[in-house]
Parts: sequence; structure tokens; C-alpha cells
Amino acid sequence: MTTLSAPPTEETSETGRPPKDSPWAAAILLALAALACGVLLAGLSAWFLGAVAIAGLSSAALTFNVHIPAALVRLFAIGRTAAKYGERLVGHKAALLDQARRRGNLFAAMARAPSVRRAGWQFGDQDRLADYLDDVEDMDFAKLRVDLPLLTVGAGALACLVATLLVAPLAILPIAALAAAIAALAARLAVAGQSTWDEVRRARREGSQRIGAAIAAALALQAEDAWSERLSSAFGPLARAEDRLLAMRRSFAALDAVAGLFGPLAGMAVMAAAWFAGERLDGLLVPAFLAFAWLALGETALGASKILVAALRRRAAAREIARWSGDATAEPRPEIASPRLTTLRLAGWQRLTPNHRPIGRPFAATFEAGRPTLLTGPSGCGKTSLLKQIAGWIGNDIADSRALVLLPGARRQLSVFCPHDAAILADTVRANLFAPKATDDAIRQALAAMELGARIDEAGGLDGWITQESLSLGERQRLNLARAWLSTRPLVLLDEPTEHLDPDQGARILDRLFEHLRDRIVILSSHRGTEEAGDRAIRL
Amino acid sequence: MTNLSGPSSSRPPPSADGRAPGALAAARALGARGTKRALAWQMARSLLRLGFSGTAAVLAGRLIMGSEIAAWMVPAPPLLLVLAALAGWVADRIQAETEAGVANGLREEALARLRALPARSVQAVPVGELLVGLQRHPESIAALVVGHRVARLMLALGPLAAAAAILGVSWQAALLVLGLTPVMIIFFAFIGDAIRRRAKAQEKALGRLAGQFADRIRTLPTILAHHALGAEEAKLRIRLDAYAGETMGVLRVAFLNAGVIDFFSSLSIAILAVFLGLGHLGLASIPGFSDLALWQSLFILMIAPEYFAPFRRYAEQYHAKAEGDAAADALDRLLEPAPPPAADLPHLDRIAGTIALPPGGLVAVSGASGSGKSTLLRRLAGLEPGIEAAPGLATVSWAATDSYVPDGDLGAAIAWGTDAPPEPSRLLLAAGQVGLLDDTLLPGGLGARVENGGGNLSGGQRLRIAIARALLTDRPVIADEPTAKLDPATAALVRDALRDMARSRLVLVATHDGALLRLADMTIHLDPADQPARESAS
Repeated sequence: MTTLSAPPTEETSETGRPPKDSPWAAAILLALAALACGVLLAGLSAWFLGAVAIAGLSSAALTFNVHIPAALVRLFAIGRTAAKYGERLVGHKAALLDQARRRGNLFAAMARAPSVRRAGWQFGDQDRLADYLDDVEDMDFAKLRVDLPLLTVGAGALACLVATLLVAPLAILPIAALAAAIAALAARLAVAGQSTWDEVRRARREGSQRIGAAIAAALALQAEDAWSERLSSAFGPLARAEDRLLAMRRSFAALDAVAGLFGPLAGMAVMAAAWFAGERLDGLLVPAFLAFAWLALGETALGASKILVAALRRRAAAREIARWSGDATAEPRPEIASPRLTTLRLAGWQRLTPNHRPIGRPFAATFEAGRPTLLTGPSGCGKTSLLKQIAGWIGNDIADSRALVLLPGARRQLSVFCPHDAAILADTVRANLFAPKATDDAIRQALAAMELGARIDEAGGLDGWITQESLSLGERQRLNLARAWLSTRPLVLLDEPTEHLDPDQGARILDRLFEHLRDRIVILSSHRGTEEAGDRAIRL
Repeated sequence: MTNLSGPSSSRPPPSADGRAPGALAAARALGARGTKRALAWQMARSLLRLGFSGTAAVLAGRLIMGSEIAAWMVPAPPLLLVLAALAGWVADRIQAETEAGVANGLREEALARLRALPARSVQAVPVGELLVGLQRHPESIAALVVGHRVARLMLALGPLAAAAAILGVSWQAALLVLGLTPVMIIFFAFIGDAIRRRAKAQEKALGRLAGQFADRIRTLPTILAHHALGAEEAKLRIRLDAYAGETMGVLRVAFLNAGVIDFFSSLSIAILAVFLGLGHLGLASIPGFSDLALWQSLFILMIAPEYFAPFRRYAEQYHAKAEGDAAADALDRLLEPAPPPAADLPHLDRIAGTIALPPGGLVAVSGASGSGKSTLLRRLAGLEPGIEAAPGLATVSWAATDSYVPDGDLGAAIAWGTDAPPEPSRLLLAAGQVGLLDDTLLPGGLGARVENGGGNLSGGQRLRIAIARALLTDRPVIADEPTAKLDPATAALVRDALRDMARSRLVLVATHDGALLRLADMTIHLDPADQPARESAS
């Protein structure tokens, strides 16, 4: 007896694809250059005006070399504009490249997370998906919104501090005190902001869930005269989230106000320190240079609260995303040769409820190629779970086929599982059928058999672009069945294949499908009962 | 303008074209007062900041030149600076409060509109989109009508104030700064046009590429089921790269906008510094730039950037406009769902006035699927648009697979909505009567965990919770296919419970369950084949 398990995992650690050609270094350089040009432009202009004003008092005016500072002023002006544009462009380029790589990796990581194969895919819900995308986006642009500005302002402040130490050492004290106060305020706000932001997220989630639940039960609630009251209370958490968010914005406004004081106060401190050190006239020109430089640097600190918010969002987003893909287990990539299965035997299986709790007595059955088997039973009895167990998506059950032992990993490779809530990819019809090797004729035959030929022609043929919304529920279901038709796997599992189809059409299509798949093992589920063809039915 | 007693009480005026006022008009009305206050404080901040720049220039100029310094000159700059910061702080807080008020007001408006919708229209609302929209759209709209509007008004006022300040020192310098503005605006228009053309050309490609990551995350289980992970991952990486490339193409043009402001702002400083410098040296006689004191030229140099700052702040908000407009459209569309197609059931219309429901007993509606059983139930309960509930059926217990279930435990789910908290023994009895206490699929008795909306329950379980709830009240009961999704033993329990309740009140069921039909005191058989409905009493 041979055991057919999934081949050993090939550790495909693409995730670490190092961004060798990442433009971040260039973005940082450009950001520093833009800041330096801006700071130098302000400082030099002030120095220049002071110098010429003093020179103008005497005959030095005639010998004053006006060309060099004038040229430098122009250079810094142009340099600032160009470097700023470059910083924006290269910074976004770096962020977008990161985004593309990160999202590719994230997709691969999500695919390995066991939760994907369990009941109820959360991201099939539009609102859960939108929340997730917001998180991903917060991560994508955090470097651009947090790290880059912090690095630049930090470097600029350090340079100005060193210069201050040389030019007007006394000014260091008030500047450092102010900087420490701002940092302390930011740290305090960050701590408070984090718990507030978590609360906002929780409240929004709760509100969405409650509103969703109320809308789903709208008919019953209106009949019971409870609609108004229920809906109003469902909106409560959203208002609470808005209030918490407002509290956060209000406290963050203080940070912006204080941060805005930093540059000007530092500049004034430098001038005052130089004055008290006894500098006059020419001696005050260099301090004036530095003071105006501080002033220009201060302009960049105006977005302090934005940086803090982006940092908070990044932290929350990272935690949430790790929750989804963190439990990822490696999934075997390479395909194994598919043997032709003619029987599949399950013995002593423990069936599971939709919530993965054990249910019922040990289950045994033998399925044969050419004899489609119908699983029926009341809703909630675990039909879908059993299909997933057979498909190797959940559980650790072992099946066998004559001399072959089939572990879940192997069954996963040998089966095609058509879930009842068929999802349509935003892509071409061809891509949606997952049959890259099928000929156009074979595809058209499949579509015709599923009574989709005309609809697909209308959508632009095999290379027409379709989306979830562009097809009706019934059309999605039939496209889903066309995927099963075109699949070459020996084990075909169909969850509620006739849902959203009218009974006649459902029966017609299933007959054709069973005829086409007569050399495969076909297992399907239905809550409707046994009238839907099928050679055999098992009541759960 | 001062009628803002509360977000819900201030009704926005109808718009000019006579349609119901949209979210945008409502938001404007809600935010009008706060926006004005925010603008006033923002303006105060600007003026105080100009005052700081001016006095700092005076002080620095006089310090450097060793001129006499009046006593007021020393405390003035820091004082004005701190006052400007305070004004800015107040302005930011007011803006935040106004935006929150607008967002909350829009949500209340949405709530009011949803509350007024008939159930059938509610069912036509795209729920996922609505939940996404209720979280995000009100904030985008608030940002547009408050933040963006303040920035736009400051665009008109801020530069004027700065130019006026420069005018006080040198009208020629003010003219120079003002003269640069039309040139800048021409550049703006030129670039804006280029952006639009470029964006249009790339819209199609971007539109399809933009949603690919979200789409593949959404469809991940399907991709796995069909063994397409490898192919889809490779394709996704290619498309994400292509998207990044396309987006860069748009950004290259879009960033020119900010670049133009930077350029003119830098250029003006450079020109002014050189002109003023030459003036000081007395080497060139440029009207307006000669014979100035150092403090005057420093003053001009410090104020000039303030002239351009509002342009930059406005440019930073370029996306707020498009986002807010789109959000307002989306919210309006979401809250005006297309009315569901009226069911074409002439035989129901014919019997509309003829059904005389008894005050008690079990009344069954039967008929083939599609014959309008559920529609008749909805009409009798007054849930169809424009149709009054039958006498006594305005408030009923509604038992169906989509009955409402709050989160908590099974006991709380059953007790929900009953007038007074039921005694534990009655609760236990009711739960037992529909087989919820020994349900292998829901172990834990009354303490079994129930998710909001009954997400972890089957339709049959939700229906039985609703029936147990009905047992605890004395309202009439309407049940839609109460036994269809149940196993035979549980279906028998539910039939007994319905029969039991029918002793004291009206129980109206739509069913094709023969066993339940046999228990009925009266049957309304619906036959679309143009014959009047038969009523039969048994």
C-alpha cells in the first residue's frame, strides 16, 4: 500500500526578495537636499541682506561681491524646487514599488493561512475587505508618511543644533527644552492615541456588524415593529467612534500648535543668545543666518500630528494584518502526478459542524467514478464541512482508493472543490475558468453546456472582462459549474450546485455535467432533497 | 444661519433643481456655522502670524544694524507667535468638531432615510457597499465641506493679507509678488488640463489594475479550490508592477502642481533677496527696493513665503475635492435603492379585499412556488410599499429564517424583543418546545453562544428562535415556510408549537408542508392560473 501525501514543502521564501534597486536611498537624499536647500535659502537670504545693509553704510559697498551670494540664492531656490519635486516623485515610486512587492507577498501569505480554507471567508464581505485594504494601504505608505519626514526633519534639526552649538551655545538650553517638551507631548499622545484608535476600530466594526444584522432581518424587524429602534441602536457605535476620533483630533491639534512654535522660538533663542554674548553688527550676521534657518526648518514641523496619526495607523494595521497571515503554514506548491481514481473510501470519519465541532456517529462511505453521489440533510448538518473534509481542506482524515492511502494534502491536489458562493475574478472569462490548457473549442463547449454561451458572447467572448457584479447569481453559479466541467482532477466536489438555478435548468445542466464527468468521482450537496438526479443519495 | 440646535433638527434647504437635497447640500448646511468660525480663527492665525513675522523682522533688522529698539519690540514677536499658535489650535479644534458634527449629522440623515424605507427596499440596498460607505463617506464629505472649504477661502484671503502687509513697506515689492500670481495660475490651469487628459487616457488601464489585489484577496478560496494560486500570484505581481508604473505616470504630472507653487515661492524669495540686496548696496536704483532699512527688507523677505503658503495648503487637499464629491454621490445612490420590481401577481390583487382573517386559529397559505405566498404574508403584515397591514397585524411575531437574532447567548436571543424579561422557567419551556435545548448543532442550552445576526446559526435555528420568542408573547404570529429547512423530528415540534399558539391567537403560515396544512383551521390556496383563491375551512 502506498501512501500518497503531499510532496515535501519546498520552502519558497520569495517573501524576502530584497529590494536591491529600491529608490528609497535616492528619495532620502532628495528629501535631505530639498530641506537643505530650503533652510540654506532662508538663512543665506537673511545673511545677505544683513551683510549688504551693513556694507551699504560705508564704502565697502563698492567692493562687496554681490554675485556669489546672489547666485547661491538662485541656486538654492531652483534646487529646492527641483529636489522637492524629485523627493515627491522618487518617494512615491519607492512606496509604490514596495506596495507592489508587499501586496504580492501578502497575497501569497494569505493563501497559506489555514483560515482561507475554513468556513466563511471573511473577505468575501465587502466591508471586511475594505477594512483590510485600509490596513494594507496604511502599511504601504507608512514609510513615506512617517519614516521619511521624521528622518529628514531629524537630520535637519541635528545639523541646526550643531550649528547652534558653534554659533550661539547658550541657545541650546531653550531649544533642547522645547524639543524635549514636544517629544514628551508626542509620546503621551501616541500612547493615548493608540488605545483611542483601537477603540475607534472596534466601535466601527461593531456598528457595521449590527447594521448588517439589522438590515438582513429588515423584514422580520418591520413586521415586529422593532426596525426603527434596532437600526438606531445599531448606528450607536458609529457615532461613538466618531466621538472618540474627535477627541483624538482635538488633542492632536495641541501637538501641531506646539510643534509650530519650535522653529521660530529656536530662531529667536539664537538671536538672543548671540546678542547677550555681546555680538553686534557683523557679528550678528551668522546668528541671523542660523535663526532664519531654524525658521525655515520649523515650517516642515507643521505636519507633526499627521505623522503621529500615520504612525498609529501603521501599528494597528500591522497587528491586524499579522493576525490574518500570521498563522500561515507552508502550502505545497509543486503539482503531483494525478492518478486516475475510480473509488474513494472513507471509513470512521468524524463529521464536523460548520463551526468545526464534531457531530454525529463515525461516517463511512464509498464513492465511485461514474456514480455521482448526493449528500442531503437539513441546513447546518455539515454537508459543506464534509465536502471540505473530503477535499482535504479541513481535518486530518485519511481516505483510501484501492491500494492508495490519500492524506488531506493529496486529496487537495486531486480534487476540485466548487464552493456554493461562487466568486468571479475581475478578469477575462478565460482566466475565470482556470483551465489554461483547454482549447477555445473545449471552453466554448463547456460554456454552451452550462447555457452561458450567449451571455459570454455578450460580455465580449472568451477575452471579455467580467466581474462579480456583471453576472447574476445564476450566471455565476453556471460559470462555477463550467469550471468543474473543464477541470481535469479525478475528484469533483460540488457544493449546492443548483442553488440560484430554476429546478428545470438545474436538472438539465447537472445531467450534462455528470455525463461529461462520467469517468470522475463526483460528490455534490443539496439541501433540496433527492429529486435532483444523482444515482445515489446519502442523508446526513 | 444659527439654527444649528442639533445635527438632526436642522433640515437642509431643498436644492435648486427641486430634487431631495443630497448629502452634499445637507453637509453644507450642517457645517456652515462651524466652517465660518474655523475660517475666522484661521484668518486670525494668519494675521497674528504676519504680525509675528513683521515684528520679528523689525527686531532682527534693528538688532543687526544696532539701531534703537523700543521696549515693545522685544516681547512682541514671541507674544504674537504664541497667540498665532493658540488661534491655530482653536481653528483646528473647531474644524475637527465641525467635521465630526457634519459626519454624525450625515449618519443620522442616513439612519432616518433607512428607517423610513419599506422592508422590500431595504432588501435592495447593497449591504456591503452601504457598510463601507457609512464608515467612510460621511468623513470624506465633511472634509470637503469644512476642511477643503476653509482652505479654499484662505486661498482668497491669506495671500491678500500678506500682500497688504508687504504693501505697507513697499508697494513695488507687493506688486511683484502679486504679479507672479497670474503667471502661476496660468501654469496651474495648464497643468490641471494636462493631468485631466493624462488621467483620462490611463483611467481604463488603472481602473482595472487598481482593484486587482482586493479582488484576488476576496476570491482567494475560489483560486485555491481551482489550483490557480501559482498562476494568479504571478499574474498579480505583474499587474501590481504595471499599476505602480501607470500610477507613476499620473503622479509625474500631478506633482507638477505642487512643484509650480514651490517654484514661484522660491523664485519670489530669490528675486526679492537680490533686488533688496542691490538696493541696500546702493549699486542699483530700483524703485521700491532702494532706501529701505534692513528691517523693511527682512520684513518683505519673511512675509513673501506667507503669501504662497495658502496655495500650498490648498494644493495638498487636491484629492479631498474629488473624494468628497464621489462620496456624496455614492451615499445618495446607496440611500435611494431602486424600488424592487412590483411582483406581477394579479390573482393576489383580486383577492386583496376578500380575505377575512379570523381572530384566532391556524391559517395556512398554500400554493406552488412562485404563486405569491410570501408576498401575501408581506401584504397582510403591511410590509409591501403602499399597503396597509390587515387589522390586528401591524405588530406581529415574524418567524422566518431571516428573523433577527442579537448577539449574546441563546436565552437572550429568545428573550429579545419580548415586552418584559420572561421568567427563566418559561424561557426554558419555550426553548425546549422547539427543540433548541437538545440541538446537537447548538450545544450549551440557553447559554449557547450566539453571534450578532445569528451568523453562527443555520436558517432553521434562527427560525426556531423566532418561534420560541413568539411563544413568550401573545402577538399574532406570521411564519414563512416554518418547517421547510428542518429535519422531520424538529419539524413536528414546530408544527406542535404553531398549533399550540393558534389556540389563543391568529397564526398565519405560508407552507407547502402537507402535515402542517392538515393542521390548519383555514387554508388559503393561491393559484396563479387566474382562478380566485379558494378558502376552505376544515
